[in-house]
Amino acid sequence: MVQKRKIAYINLTTKKLSQKAMPKKIRTMYIGGRGIDMYMLYNHLKPKIDPLSPQNVLLVGAGLLGGIPCLGSGRCDIAAKSPLTGAVGDSNIGGFFAPELRFTGFDHLAITGKAEKPVYLLVKNDEIEIKEASHLWGKDTFETQTIIRKDQDDENIKSLVIGVAGENLVKFANILTGMKNSAGRTGMGCVMGSKNLKAIAARGTTPLEFAHPDRLLEYCRQMNDMITSTRWSKAQSRWGTMIIYSNTNTTGLIRTRNFQLNRLEEGQDLEPENIDRYSIGTSGCYGCAVHCRHRYVLREGPHAPLYGEGPEYTSLGAFGTMIDCRKMETILVANHLVNKYGVDTLETGGLIAWAMELYEKGILNDKMTDGLKLEWGNEEALYEMITNIAHRKGFGNTLADGFKKAIAKIGNGSEYYAIQVKGMSNLHSDERPTPSFALGIATSTRGADHLRSRPAIDMYGLPEDLLEEVYGGPVASEYNSYYGKPRMVWWQERLYAVTDSIGLCKFQTVFCSVHAPQWKEFSKLIQLATGVEISETQLMEIGERIYTIERLFNLREGFSRKDDNLPERYFKEPTPIGLPVAKNKKIDREKFSKMLDEYYKLHGWGNDGIPTAGTLKKLGLDKEPSNLI
Amino acid sequence: MSEVRCLNCLKRFSVRQKAETATCPKCKTKYRISWPTPNQAKIRGLA
Amino acid sequence: MQKMLAVDPEKCTGCRLCETSCSIYNEKTCTPEKARIRVTKWENEGIYIPMVCQQCDIPICESVCPMHAIKRDSNTQALVIDKELCVGCRLCMQFCPFGGIGVDDETKKIIKCDLCNGEPICVKFCQPMALQYVDANTLNTRKRRAAAKRFSDILKKMLATI
Repeated sequence: MVQKRKIAYINLTTKKLSQKAMPKKIRTMYIGGRGIDMYMLYNHLKPKIDPLSPQNVLLVGAGLLGGIPCLGSGRCDIAAKSPLTGAVGDSNIGGFFAPELRFTGFDHLAITGKAEKPVYLLVKNDEIEIKEASHLWGKDTFETQTIIRKDQDDENIKSLVIGVAGENLVKFANILTGMKNSAGRTGMGCVMGSKNLKAIAARGTTPLEFAHPDRLLEYCRQMNDMITSTRWSKAQSRWGTMIIYSNTNTTGLIRTRNFQLNRLEEGQDLEPENIDRYSIGTSGCYGCAVHCRHRYVLREGPHAPLYGEGPEYTSLGAFGTMIDCRKMETILVANHLVNKYGVDTLETGGLIAWAMELYEKGILNDKMTDGLKLEWGNEEALYEMITNIAHRKGFGNTLADGFKKAIAKIGNGSEYYAIQVKGMSNLHSDERPTPSFALGIATSTRGADHLRSRPAIDMYGLPEDLLEEVYGGPVASEYNSYYGKPRMVWWQERLYAVTDSIGLCKFQTVFCSVHAPQWKEFSKLIQLATGVEISETQLMEIGERIYTIERLFNLREGFSRKDDNLPERYFKEPTPIGLPVAKNKKIDREKFSKMLDEYYKLHGWGNDGIPTAGTLKKLGLDKEPSNLI
Repeated sequence: MSEVRCLNCLKRFSVRQKAETATCPKCKTKYRISWPTPNQAKIRGLA
Repeated sequence: MQKMLAVDPEKCTGCRLCETSCSIYNEKTCTPEKARIRVTKWENEGIYIPMVCQQCDIPICESVCPMHAIKRDSNTQALVIDKELCVGCRLCMQFCPFGGIGVDDETKKIIKCDLCNGEPICVKFCQPMALQYVDANTLNTRKRRAAAKRFSDILKKMLATI
């Protein structure tokens, strides 16, 4: 059971391998996945190390419940110090890798050092081997997985791989498994590349044991019924995460032309329903009854034949609205390209949209872009830019370093146009009409991000008594309001931290539906699977501990309250179009600052954003680093 | 019959089966409708 | 007519809930390796095909078994293994044309789908209904109707325009 699970330490420089049983104390304090990764990140790293140096640690952590038959239990958390932001690097990936890793007997891998030549790791039940990977270097993400399977003559191998972007140390290179599942954010693929580590392959046949298998099975079935009976899930099963576009673009909550508009007026071709033209069916991650991505085929045109998976709502913005491309086909081609090269779809789109606005403003010119006409809607320029970023070619080399460095290099007022926080691009959502979302991207420990805290149910105008019941305090029903929104963000941050730690899909908890599983159900799943009793209140405290240790990491790296901020445009430029509810809205600087005060207070942090001594003691964080694993 | 939530005033209102458009009775915003399942409507875009 | 475990690969999303639920139900652990049903994938082309014992009417496994350890359940008509008799020779596995039979690595004995006494757990977990436990005639009627629907739609349109 829980106590039997292991952690492996791999030093690629010395080739030393060791393993250890996971102490129960760590489990009860941090659970698994992201929680344990964050504990190790804080404990293993010395402050201010270069993220691309051998000292950085690449942490791979399967969730505690990885492998159970419900709620998308295939999630894996990957962490390191981020080369993109210098803050917490952390990205969660679906697909089938995490369960396969758990079938080997290992739940966590901690990889340090740097291999002399390209290598990959093969984890096969109890054995870990460092294998030669020169023949894989230069291969795309799909080929790499196929070759490893062929080499090992085993179709059931699941691999985490990097593409050429990771090899070229693109700061936002991702790690991919399958055809599209990506640990996209914060440049974890770049860290892999810096270690000369092309892939991590897993194959296991070790039984995963449970405390109460029969009752667990029945409860998992109930959980699947619970999630698939929500309205949200039914729509998402049909058209994927792209369904969000119907609401955001109609309302005027979507970044268009970088940040100039908040709706793509002639965006009908990007409506999720149009994926039916290309789809051959949907596809699910491990243990998922929702199956939110499409398997699509392009049969005609210059890019045919092409098979891909997705696209997510993210790519609709990254390669659609943000750069004013209005064709679904463009999204499908660009989505395939980023997956093939192994580069984050969101960061790539965000940077290209920014560059297009700079080009329009004359801050960039043809000479600086190597003659590439970075004009709105220029899909050929988009494809070329993606390819050039992944290969660090020409102007692509500038963007490949991410916002922080590119701003420093381009200068000339370019910073104002960059929609980023802590050096990481924001999603294509426009948070000016939604203070809760705005606070969330400002406070996220990994830089601008919607997956750390987004209370998507804020959009539904739910009754205030229901909101109070969920969030444990008063929250305004209107999403334009600032009242109670810090409480929402605080609650969601802890819930998502725990979701990422037990290894279930965030979409199958209170993200888009208030009727989805949350604390109570998680507590019961943990009890049935492991026999360990962790109450709802304890789970909330674990969420707080995880979020606070991430905060401690960032503080140690020099981040502070001033970094929990929004791009200046959020305060200065009101939204120009959209439905009345979303039009002419901007974030009020003073109210935002008050939200931040209240948010810190809820966390038990001081007004400076530093956790108080009392909070640290209460959370058992007063003696960190404790170096237990 | 199925319900959708108006994206402007957030009022829930009913949409008749197989309808391709619907108008919010409160704020009069007119939408195009699509059907992820035969019994569940969703807003597709502005009409 | 006897019910059968019908597989519709076009509906399969590849989530492996069938494998997982099968192994927990039968083995009390999550071990897809020991699941009686496995999803075979061509990941790079997006093709997923669940493979499971077809409970053949003329079962090769039964006829090659030297120990007569494979018998038909009178209730479900599933071909079931008598573990007392099975010697783990794996002849059935070698002769089965569908890969419907596996070997338990620990006990070295044969494992195969027994239709869970008439209530297959995998069917209960398959949300897109790629797996169904249905009467063979019903299945055929449904398929026929689905195929005919295309013609029916055309006819309806033609009649409406006349």
